[in-house]
Amino acid sequence: MNSGIDLQGSFIQLLVDLGLSAEAARVVWLPLPMLLVLVGATLGVLVTTWLERKISAAAQQRIGPEFAGPLGMLIPIADGLKLLVKEDIIPAKADSLLFTLGPAIVVIPVFLSFLIVPFGQNLLITDLGIGIFLWISLSSIAPIGLLMAGYASNNKYSLLGGLRAAAQSISYEIPLALSVVAIAMMSNSLSTVDIVQQQSGYGILGWNVWRQPIGFLIFWIAALAECERLPFDLPEAEEELVAGYQTEYAGIKFGLFYLGSYVNLVLSSLFVSVLYLGGWNFIIPIEVLADWLGVSESTPWLQVITGSLGIIMTLLKAYLLVFLAILLRWTLPRVRIDQLLDLGWKFLLPVSLVNLLLTAALKLAFPFAFGG
Amino acid sequence: MLKFLKQVTDYTKEAVQAARFIGQGLSVTFDHMQRRPITVQYPYEKLIPSERFRGRIHFEFDKCISCEVCVRVCPINLPVVDWEFNKETKKKKLNHYSIDFGVCIFCGNCVEYCPTNCLSMTEEYDLSTYDRHELNFDNVALGRLPYKVTEDPMVQPLRELAYLPKGVLDPHGLPPGSRRAGKLPEEILEEAEGNGAK
Amino acid sequence: MNLADGVQIVSFGVLALMMLGAALGVVLLENIVYSAFLLGGVFISIAGLYILLNAGFVAAAQVLIYVGAVNVLILFGIMLVNKRQNFVPLRNAWVGKATTAVVCLGLFALLGAMVLSTPWAISTAPVAGDTSTVVIGLHFFSDFLLPFELASVLLLMALIGAIVLARREFLPDALEREQTQQPVLTLPERPRELASAAPGSPDRTLGTSPTKRNV
Repeated sequence: MNSGIDLQGSFIQLLVDLGLSAEAARVVWLPLPMLLVLVGATLGVLVTTWLERKISAAAQQRIGPEFAGPLGMLIPIADGLKLLVKEDIIPAKADSLLFTLGPAIVVIPVFLSFLIVPFGQNLLITDLGIGIFLWISLSSIAPIGLLMAGYASNNKYSLLGGLRAAAQSISYEIPLALSVVAIAMMSNSLSTVDIVQQQSGYGILGWNVWRQPIGFLIFWIAALAECERLPFDLPEAEEELVAGYQTEYAGIKFGLFYLGSYVNLVLSSLFVSVLYLGGWNFIIPIEVLADWLGVSESTPWLQVITGSLGIIMTLLKAYLLVFLAILLRWTLPRVRIDQLLDLGWKFLLPVSLVNLLLTAALKLAFPFAFGG
Repeated sequence: MLKFLKQVTDYTKEAVQAARFIGQGLSVTFDHMQRRPITVQYPYEKLIPSERFRGRIHFEFDKCISCEVCVRVCPINLPVVDWEFNKETKKKKLNHYSIDFGVCIFCGNCVEYCPTNCLSMTEEYDLSTYDRHELNFDNVALGRLPYKVTEDPMVQPLRELAYLPKGVLDPHGLPPGSRRAGKLPEEILEEAEGNGAK
Repeated sequence: MNLADGVQIVSFGVLALMMLGAALGVVLLENIVYSAFLLGGVFISIAGLYILLNAGFVAAAQVLIYVGAVNVLILFGIMLVNKRQNFVPLRNAWVGKATTAVVCLGLFALLGAMVLSTPWAISTAPVAGDTSTVVIGLHFFSDFLLPFELASVLLLMALIGAIVLARREFLPDALEREQTQQPVLTLPERPRELASAAPGSPDRTLGTSPTKRNV
């Protein structure tokens, strides 16, 4: 099945028509999607930080940023510029090599995971066969960077924060992976495109939320814990650990941690929307609408609309989840470290195992509804 | 087996209840999002301090008799009274007087006990400086009167919560003649005097 | 040579160099934390080699299990057990070193011989690529069933062992008593009971009940 717009094909065709060899045209094409996604992810973070400030302000009956640009929209740029030009301090007794390497190791895997986020049938960098598994394995690298940062800072709060972050990441990786396995079982594939394909066709009724409500909740809780969002922000618990592993960081290195955590939040929301909320699908399937209006599916303008609607829907769903995360931040108090690990190991893990077994049983019993 | 099943059901009930409580909390937070902000945008808008606001202390040099009561009642003996005895008039002559507002806690004891009322509280509260020693006010600085918030053309004065009409929570955009909730102090006084006359 | 081949050769060189350098660092560096982090580098380079061999799933599994779990656990171990002590210089330490060298050389010779003797014929079977997960699953449940099940039993045993260790009630009492007799990690504070038990000591308000204090 290959519907929708094929940007790569048409771009290469254009260059070949201009007189380049097919190989050279591919080389010219290769960096473009990566650059686009990198810029897009950074822009997404800027929007998220602005939203975080504005929504937090609204939840607390404040105004929030107002004077920097219209509605304070330039405040994330001011933030970023400030972090860029601030002095980069490396503490005297710190291990400067590991101290520098830590933030990079935390940020790079998160950006790499954008490889497999689909915004449409052909609107992703690469449709890997291992798909979602790549994200799980990449997100398991981050604890190493956190431990590195915590250790290299030569500060007990940093070390404790790093250890907590690593413990939290490892514990919540398991329920996360198990709920993803249930999804993969239903769609018979790990590829993100296939997972979204399998949810399309029935509009909002076909989304995985209805078939995997428990999995959805587990995935969302575990994703919040992986992102160190507020009910689970123990690694940087201000009252206990100053700022956890970020304590000694300043300037652009702190900026990398900040960027990484927000990119991670956006990424997790994107994956929730891909895995459970039908990805780029509209509430009503586009094909049905087109049939109803009597427009052929291969009409160019319809394809353009479908493509842009896909991007908009994916982003809309993701930002709805970001909004939910921010709302949760101001609703729930922080859990203690033992409560956190109890929740992870004694609640989420058994429940996600039961969910997996249930999915397998349902798949055997009702193969038509659960992707036999 | 039954016991185990009961444990499972109890656990599930607890989990469901916890989820319901989280939902309740979320609805409260969501409800707060559509309320109007109560922010006072400080340098441009300022609240009008109440009548008994304890701000920076004002000092009248000529009224002072150098009795040092203010020093004695001060919790930390903060005011510095520099006087010398004038043998001809047999009176104390005040040379300098100063209070360090970096240390003062604005308890108002000195104002309360001053026998000649040469100390008084003002409405000024924004005392920020670049050097903490600039907060050490001498008798000249103490003698200056602050700008009134209501008379400052740069500032939009806003009423405090207790001075708003009944049921109003937002000080922005009040109609000009609106009265605060309850009676004014002078009205209460008038009534009491009226009753007394009867 | 087209573009893809060039990229492959260059990445192979970079990955091989990275792996060898990191592996040497693991063994030769004095600082054990550096060694642990470099071990992560070795695992990542191996994952890169798997990707060059068209085995994406194995590469991802390598990263998930070795970098994300094993290496983090090693780091945890190192960072939680922070005991600084000077090693007592052994007499005849050279014996141990010599044995190590002999064993290492023997292993190296064995592996080298195996590498040289194996006919490295490139398989003509079609590349599994994205369907490799299916192929691996089929192998797990047919000809590699026994090792697979044995591994799972081993993991189960480790799990139960960890739970037994974590639940202190199964530990023999003698061990615990020994631990209570030698408090190693206590703060240099006076025990609270002693202060309250001594009547008439000046700071007994700390330990007395509120009713007594009110009298």
